Amino acid sequence: MRAQKSTSGVGSALRAWLGFSLLIVAQFGVRPLLAARASVDFAVIAVLFSAVRMRPGFAALTGFATGLALDALAPGSFGASALVLSLIAFGASWLKAVFFADHVALTGLFVFGAKWLFDVAMAMLTGVGSGASLLVALLLWAPLSAALTAVVAVLLLVLFRPLYRPQSL
Amino acid sequence: MARNVRGEGRLDTGLVLVCVALAVLALLSPRRSRDEVAAVLRASVLSPLVQLEARASGVRAAIVARNDLLTTRGRAVADTLSLRAISDENATLRKLLGLSARLQDGFVPAEVLPSRGGDEFTINLTVGSNVGVQPFLPVVTADGLVGMVESVDQGSSSVIMWAHPDFRVSGMSVDQNAFGIVQPHLATGPERWLLEMRGVPFRAKLDSGTLIVSSGLGATYPRGIPVGTVIGELNTPEKWARTYLVKPAVLPENIGPVLVLMPGRSQRGVNGVWTSVAAADSAARAVAAAGDSVARAAALDELAARRAAFDSLLADSLAAGDTIGGGLGTRLPARLPMRADSVKRDSVRRDSVARRPTAGRN
Repeated sequence: MRAQKSTSGVGSALRAWLGFSLLIVAQFGVRPLLAARASVDFAVIAVLFSAVRMRPGFAALTGFATGLALDALAPGSFGASALVLSLIAFGASWLKAVFFADHVALTGLFVFGAKWLFDVAMAMLTGVGSGASLLVALLLWAPLSAALTAVVAVLLLVLFRPLYRPQSL
Repeated sequence: MARNVRGEGRLDTGLVLVCVALAVLALLSPRRSRDEVAAVLRASVLSPLVQLEARASGVRAAIVARNDLLTTRGRAVADTLSLRAISDENATLRKLLGLSARLQDGFVPAEVLPSRGGDEFTINLTVGSNVGVQPFLPVVTADGLVGMVESVDQGSSSVIMWAHPDFRVSGMSVDQNAFGIVQPHLATGPERWLLEMRGVPFRAKLDSGTLIVSSGLGATYPRGIPVGTVIGELNTPEKWARTYLVKPAVLPENIGPVLVLMPGRSQRGVNGVWTSVAAADSAARAVAAAGDSVARAAALDELAARRAAFDSLLADSLAAGDTIGGGLGTRLPARLPMRADSVKRDSVRRDSVARRPTAGRN
């Protein structure tokens, strides 16, 4: 019984890492093809989907590593993504453990909020834009991008449920 | 159990604090250090992702470049087409400007209004009775006759073109040898857009290419407006008169801005206005005819001179034979003191050449 549970846990972990890897590959392989002001952030989805399966500490570590990868490709704001994604992943893992059940709509809302928070925090940390352009970026493009990311996250959750089903690792 | 949970909580807190501390350190570190760390990461663990991103960006750039190329190509084609249209319009306006300068006064320039899908042989102009346009006034372009004003409103007028079944104009050849009535050629197909000149006297034969102008007979069209050029003769049952097929001077696709000739201008005539066209035709014929007559005269003169030279040589040789003792039948000297071309046999009549041995025998 214990061996069967252990095998199931390993399989779940493998599927989780496969799903995470696919999303990271999509972040670097698909996102550039869809270059637009409001675009899907696969990295945020990957961090959130993995964070809800992990302990908050490991989720923060995953967010930090993912953020560092993003920062390495944009050295101007090196460390900003790592900081924000660490906190988001930690918070997501903690909130999921406390509040959320396995609910698609709630997951969409969760992704939307996380992505918007990520964009707001990045805008504050990197200091890009000011005045009206910053307001437009934070109140127009960031919500649009967050909504798009949430829609894709929900679609992924529905279509690839074995990969992205919330389950403790 | 509680201690275990508390320990895990501490671990989570410790991990997140470490992550935050490292991130803040990276954020606050000097730019050079950040760049070095980023470069090391890109060259090592992130190398596959960097290549993947570069490839995706390349594909994106290729798609954008393809779109740009198609857009540029489409714009170039559109520009070329509009340039050609502008060039044609420019040429038409320049010609019309020249016509206006030659007419000097007594005309109203007008634009053709877009077709409203009615009669294809009627056009509408942007001028009307407010500028003095009346029915039956001739409408012309720099190429020649377009038609006649049929009806007039306050600000527009309707014009029947030369292709209209009711259109008639008295025409003549530019040398004034042939007169007739020019009217639409009521055939089917593309030939519908030709004219025919009927009632030309049988003795007046017109060559293809002959320019036909308005004769001025009748009160509508003044004399000398180009109507078209003769293409060929038509076979008709009328044996006492000829009918010619005429290519219109103003082709339908070239009808743009036009001039309406006012009554005073029509009465004064338009002699010299289309002079370049009529004169060019008649001048070309005159030059050709003059060239022919000059060449003919030169040839006759040369022939006469050769005859005279040959006759004088023959007389000299005969005289020399008598006096020196060669007697009759002596041969001509091998080298005659004359130019080689002056005895070219093909240019001298056979009977004059044949006179020498006869004379020698006698």
